[in-house]
Amino acid sequence: MIVAEQKPLAEIKASVAQYEKLLILGCGTCVKTCFAGGEDEVATLASALRLAFKKDGKDIKIEELTVERQCEDEFIQEAAAAIERNDAVLSLACGAGVQDIASRFAASPVLPGVNTTFIGILEKQGLFIEECSGCGDCKLATYGGVCPVTRCAKKLFNGPCGGSQNGKCEVDPETDCAWQLIIDRLKALGQMDNIKHYIPPNDWRPSGAGGPRKLFREDLVV
Amino acid sequence: MTAITEKDFKPVITIFHCINTFSEAEALDLSGDNCEIRSVKLACSSMVKDVFLLRAFEAGADAVVVFACPEGECRYISGNLRAGKRVERVKGLLDEIGLDRRRLALFNIATGDTDAVKQATDDTLEVLKQLGPNPAA
Repeated sequence: MIVAEQKPLAEIKASVAQYEKLLILGCGTCVKTCFAGGEDEVATLASALRLAFKKDGKDIKIEELTVERQCEDEFIQEAAAAIERNDAVLSLACGAGVQDIASRFAASPVLPGVNTTFIGILEKQGLFIEECSGCGDCKLATYGGVCPVTRCAKKLFNGPCGGSQNGKCEVDPETDCAWQLIIDRLKALGQMDNIKHYIPPNDWRPSGAGGPRKLFREDLVV
Repeated sequence: MTAITEKDFKPVITIFHCINTFSEAEALDLSGDNCEIRSVKLACSSMVKDVFLLRAFEAGADAVVVFACPEGECRYISGNLRAGKRVERVKGLLDEIGLDRRRLALFNIATGDTDAVKQATDDTLEVLKQLGPNPAA
């Protein structure tokens, strides 16, 4: 999932203070599953903002709506009427969703309510960790399902740096050494030969170094 | 019942309670000239969502309390622990809003312990003497 974290209330309040009618638009996919922007979070934030503004003597009108995803037009259009009748939209979607809404409703200010952070997993209750950088050239088959691009602080492809201690990274001792994980995994799979041949320097162009990426699937177009 | 000295301030306290800890009959006993008690019955205290607690303040509560079973006695194992986590989170929100976290509290109440219920209410009224009415009501 894309993992996001809701912005501090004070920051959100300052960004919406000038509006009389506000739509808080949630997203029912990634941000819901990391408890940043689903229906519950929309409701809680709306209530918190109303209380905060009421305390200041302002009676802000807040409409609450959540759509399945804010990155697809068929779901975005479900919010069209609500967007139209409000002064601004506070989107709790990831950055892609915020921009998708903004591009389709140019006349409406669309403000972000979360900070989009990384592509990750739920490791255990309450803990989300980054596992994929979207590099565009997946090498997980070579490395036993452990990504050196994301999980090695130095992005090493040809073995460990030698600085880890007790399986922990020398850059951050709270982080597992990715190469320890890679070697443990390849040993368990009997695939240590994978790392016996040299991996040349990476072509980083697919990773977004050259600007925003596109994927066109002509076979999906009718 | 602890007396509230400000003449015009009759505190409103909303109680979210697990059905094991408290009853509507007790709510009627607690209400009086000194305060108004609103109670919300839940199958388990873990049913308190953040938004319910905040909406109680929007509805005019000066203080909100959650009555949960004592640790180790929740019939749903960890419902009271979940309630505790949510109450802590909303306390943080109340500070960010500017309403003061002391307006929200969780009390662990054993079944039938009416003395504990009265003490919790008295403690809440004591806090409200210092904080005054909800400025966002």
